[in-house]
Amino acid sequence: MANETRIMESPWDLTTYSWKVEADALNLFVKGLKDKKILGRKCTKCGTVYVPGTSYCRKCLIDIDQVVEVRPEGTLDAFTVNVSDIRGNPVEHPFITCTVKFDGSESLVMGTLEGWQDWHDVREGMRIKVVFKDVTTGALADLAYFQLI
Amino acid sequence: MGKRVAIVGYKQTKHSFDNLVSRERMVYELVKSLYSDIGITKDAIDTFILASNDFTDGRTISEVYIVPRIGAYMKDESKVESDGLNAALYAYMRIQSGLYDTALAIGFSMSGSEFRAPMINSYVMDPAYERPRGLINFHSIAALQARVYMEKYGFKERDLAKLTVKDLKNANNNPYAARREQKPTVDSVLGSRPLYAPLHEAHVSAYADGAAAVVLASEEAAKRITDKPLWITGVGHSMDTYYLGDRDLLRMDSLRSAGEQAYRMAGIKSPKREIDLAELHTNFASEEPVFAEALGLFKEGSGKEVVANGDSNVDGKMPVNPSGGPLGANPINAAGLIRLVDVCAQLNGEAGKNQVKGAKTGLAHGQDGPGAQQNVVFIVRREK
Ligand SMILES: [Zn+2]
Repeated sequence: MANETRIMESPWDLTTYSWKVEADALNLFVKGLKDKKILGRKCTKCGTVYVPGTSYCRKCLIDIDQVVEVRPEGTLDAFTVNVSDIRGNPVEHPFITCTVKFDGSESLVMGTLEGWQDWHDVREGMRIKVVFKDVTTGALADLAYFQLI
Repeated sequence: MGKRVAIVGYKQTKHSFDNLVSRERMVYELVKSLYSDIGITKDAIDTFILASNDFTDGRTISEVYIVPRIGAYMKDESKVESDGLNAALYAYMRIQSGLYDTALAIGFSMSGSEFRAPMINSYVMDPAYERPRGLINFHSIAALQARVYMEKYGFKERDLAKLTVKDLKNANNNPYAARREQKPTVDSVLGSRPLYAPLHEAHVSAYADGAAAVVLASEEAAKRITDKPLWITGVGHSMDTYYLGDRDLLRMDSLRSAGEQAYRMAGIKSPKREIDLAELHTNFASEEPVFAEALGLFKEGSGKEVVANGDSNVDGKMPVNPSGGPLGANPINAAGLIRLVDVCAQLNGEAGKNQVKGAKTGLAHGQDGPGAQQNVVFIVRREK
């Protein structure tokens, strides 16, 4: 029978990968978080500010190392309300994932949003501030959430 | 026969077993210095073709992380999930289309430090017939092929070891190679760890971290960029069947076909006479006589006498892998493109101790798949 099909189980456990990642910009960002500061980098050629920083400017294709501190405040850019998990199951306490643009920076930072009662009232462009963890350790999780002002 | 397309820039990294930097930094440094060498900026490149592989790169759409690093931010780019010489072929076709005047092709891999290449490669095998039994992989297929060649043509283990020593010595003279074997000899090759008989560790290419890039240009654009363009006079590519049982490992039909296409296009009647050197993408030393013969560079079955006479040495009648080939460095996805870069260096007299005197026409070969299932051939020629 030409259209016969069968199932064959076969592992696809490839390997453990030993990533080498550029650490300077990431280290700068988490070091800032430890001190409850938002640090990024600025391209001195075109003026673009990247938060978190990068080691190079993708527009000018040059290395950049000028550190800039931006105020831990900005505007809400985009958001979604997590009413389900990735499998489609409803979550007990819906929460908001959002992107935020810090004042003076061109790039967006992702996080969760607090300070709202009814998500229907949340609007792009609302002002936010960063809430850090009480005890920071120099990790991405030091940035606890964004709070609507 | 289409437009004339030139290679106006080429560069490879100093390959290593651990380059100590991220792939993003590696390709960024390589491409920036290539642009600087030939006096252009990223704005001079119309289209970018990247060769990488999701499952050797460890993430999907593996080129996207690299795109801004090579100056392709907000520009036209595409990817081949295969060896780097396919990227050069794709770039060549894009220029042939007339829609683009310049193209960058790049291949990169971290196969030295970030994963175990032979293990990953074994997942290429067919899940119904081959993978469950674990009998064949890239290494054992090469061993099967080596055995067939050796039995048929009286090519002995010592002949293969001698050929391997030739490549390892060339690699020692190649500043870009990753592998440095102290005084390789027939005995040191035969004394290296046996893997799949007749193959030993010394016969296996050096999986490494590395990258290579070339800039291709239409005739008009080439004249703007350089006064010594290298012309791509012939290309060929061919794909054999996936199932090993349907392939002739000795004849290498897809390589044969790719070579014939390239020769026809370049107007080459006698590759033995008209080609000055060949850089072959050999993942194993034992592939060298098989590939070279399928390409008509040597008489069929002549491996023993080629080795005895030193015909494939740097100063031989038909130098094969004067760079040391992938035995010196085999960054997966870059290896075939490195062949092209090495051919270009030879044609411009930049190959140092491995220089083939008066080289004018070179052949570069790239391959992918177990047992070199898919093959690409480039013929490159210096004008003056
Ligand atoms: Zn810039």
